[in-house]
Amino acid sequence: MSRRARKPRVPAEGFTTVVMLRLYVAGDAPNSLQAIANLEAICAEYLKNGHKLEIVDVLENPRRAMAEGVLVTPSLIKLSPQPPAQMIGNLSDKLRVLLALGLKPSVE
Amino acid sequence: MNIRAGSRSPGLRNALARLPEGGLERQAIEAGEIDAVIDYGSANVILFPAAQRALRIAARRASAEGLEAAFEAPVANSVLAALPRADYQRLLPGLEPVTLKFGEVLHEPGAPIRHVYFPVDCVVCLLTRTEGQRTIETGLVGYEGMVGIVLALGVALSPVRTLVQAGGTALRMSAACFDSELQRCPQLQRELYRYACVEMAQARQAVACVASHVFEQRLACWLLMTSDRLKSPEIQLTQKCLGTILDVRRVSVTLASGSLQSRNLIRYCRGKIRIVDRRGLEAASCACYSSIEALHMT
Repeated sequence: MSRRARKPRVPAEGFTTVVMLRLYVAGDAPNSLQAIANLEAICAEYLKNGHKLEIVDVLENPRRAMAEGVLVTPSLIKLSPQPPAQMIGNLSDKLRVLLALGLKPSVE
Repeated sequence: MNIRAGSRSPGLRNALARLPEGGLERQAIEAGEIDAVIDYGSANVILFPAAQRALRIAARRASAEGLEAAFEAPVANSVLAALPRADYQRLLPGLEPVTLKFGEVLHEPGAPIRHVYFPVDCVVCLLTRTEGQRTIETGLVGYEGMVGIVLALGVALSPVRTLVQAGGTALRMSAACFDSELQRCPQLQRELYRYACVEMAQARQAVACVASHVFEQRLACWLLMTSDRLKSPEIQLTQKCLGTILDVRRVSVTLASGSLQSRNLIRYCRGKIRIVDRRGLEAASCACYSSIEALHMT
């Protein structure tokens, strides 16, 4: 394995790239509320101010979700940095969210 | 894959059937982590039963909080404010906030009273017909009273024309609702009988005032009473309207208001009258002003 590959892709400290996230929720439904809370906790711990989060309520705007190919809520989409990623569910599995966001190396 | 949640609703079943086999969506549904499925066919969001229940409960809670906020809001009409809290809360569903415009006629003499009004920041004058279409003002109702008081005394027809003299908000209640609430609530009855006495005494005072005081004094009294009910020193009214309400010729209004203005008691400009020296205007008014205001203190 090359030296570059062994290095954690994004360290918790010193994060500089702004991560753009969009979370699709269904109003105040329980899984949606839980997804918002889980994501906000992860962002506060790992991204500090290095992120932008947009929360879209599909009950108010279903067509936006359709335009992005979202099938169920809650759905989290990482828009940038590349590559884009999608997470489905209430985001309670922190490790999976970190992997999807590229905040943890895929091999520990 | 057998999806447990939402198998009851056909819409949800169809939307679930369209999800890709073995996809992440189906796994998350199996784990119970999904609230809604987006049905691309109808561009609808179909909620899972648990999410539907949670949203219903949240909506009910929000509406209860909204109602609670309305109960907590300061009551802007004195008659309603005098009621015990429980009685006021029971009246609330029957009260509808309405915006009354200047010149609007709420009741015509001899016509049935369909609604009673509890003014909040508007002023309504009670006009008694003299001859033909001529009327004279025999009462003023603002936040301290209720328009349509005769209904509380068992009279269904209005004896006066009630005209909105300063636009604003009022709480309206239908005559039927008012009737049943009056039967149910002795405190409301007591409060309205008290106000009816005040309104009758005010009418008597108005008769005495017309008979014995010069118009300038009457005008000063009327301006003070209106300003009190508006809670503002500024009254929007043309001299023509003032003449119609007080049943005098316009020239009399011009002369009297000119005299008050020359003594720096009021300022009159483009349909707006502003009281600049309240104490001076009270001194210029007849004793009727203090007598009428004393009635409201009882």
